[in-house]
Amino acid sequence: MLKWSSIILLVISCQSLADGMVVDKVYHPYVTVNEREFEWRFMSSQTDQSNVLAQRFGYGHSFYENVAFEVYLVGERDETGDFQLSAYEFETRWMITEQGKYWADWGAVFEIEKQKSVNNYEASVGVIFEKEIGITSLTMNLFAIREWGQTIESEWETEFRLQYRYRYIPELQPSIELYSGEDFVGIGPGFMGVYRIEGQKQIKWEAGFITEVANSGKNHTLRFAIEYEF
Amino acid sequence: MQWTTRIVIAASITLASGLMPVIAEETKVFALVLKNHTFMPATLTIPANEKVKIIIENKDDTAEEFDSFDLNRERVIFAGKSATIYVGPLPPGTYEYFGEYHPNSARGQVIVSEERP
Repeated sequence: MLKWSSIILLVISCQSLADGMVVDKVYHPYVTVNEREFEWRFMSSQTDQSNVLAQRFGYGHSFYENVAFEVYLVGERDETGDFQLSAYEFETRWMITEQGKYWADWGAVFEIEKQKSVNNYEASVGVIFEKEIGITSLTMNLFAIREWGQTIESEWETEFRLQYRYRYIPELQPSIELYSGEDFVGIGPGFMGVYRIEGQKQIKWEAGFITEVANSGKNHTLRFAIEYEF
Repeated sequence: MQWTTRIVIAASITLASGLMPVIAEETKVFALVLKNHTFMPATLTIPANEKVKIIIENKDDTAEEFDSFDLNRERVIFAGKSATIYVGPLPPGTYEYFGEYHPNSARGQVIVSEERP
């Protein structure tokens, strides 16, 4: 009871924090050693005033049983409508507890991003939580983010992501996703799946359609990611 | 109290409460052996509604990856090494698993039974 009460308190607390667009990937705490992957992430957000497009191309490698590294090239459409490489990012994911050993599984993610053209940086530390509940899984990510640099004001931000997933079949696992930020609370359906090719080779995909619910006006985000693991 | 303080407190309580109870419990241990790219025993019976520990020993000279969507587990076992997975508490039923590198021969099932194995 104490566990669930503290989780509910955590969710309620986080709904009132964070800043800006937070719809992205919900991280899971698990790492499989020797796994390599190419990843493409796509995120398109539409409001009454603008249409934001961001894409990430990544390569990841799990050198150790509990640590995975990933490097990303980040592309965004700028204010003139041109899509171009805007930043580089390095990410480390750490599986803190063995899957299933404790009441819940824990991980952490560390990210550092540098903008390509100017010396602006963003560093993030995230706590990853996952709890198996029968054939469903509850996953939560809580990020503390620090931004600083030449052309931006230094500030702290927090972001919160939640996914409640039904592990229906490997190819199709529907979910409900929730994202929270200072001016943004979004909720919507998500889907993920795995298609096995051979051995460790497999394709993982995920998608979500998130609608902003905290403010009036249109704000929809479509996110899509595909990973080739080998 | 500030929101950031509340989050830190809530996250700390969640982390601490998530780790405490299972440490004190005694977990039953079961064994699987991988030899000639075949899991033995092919059918492993474990008790329902309790967490168990399965130690998988790989006696082959190549690595294998234990994979089970039913059990929601994935684990690499290096050649000549052992790996541990924790499963459950699970309801009674049959849960399939296989080895990703030799899916035709390295296959088996975990039977979760209310009768004591």
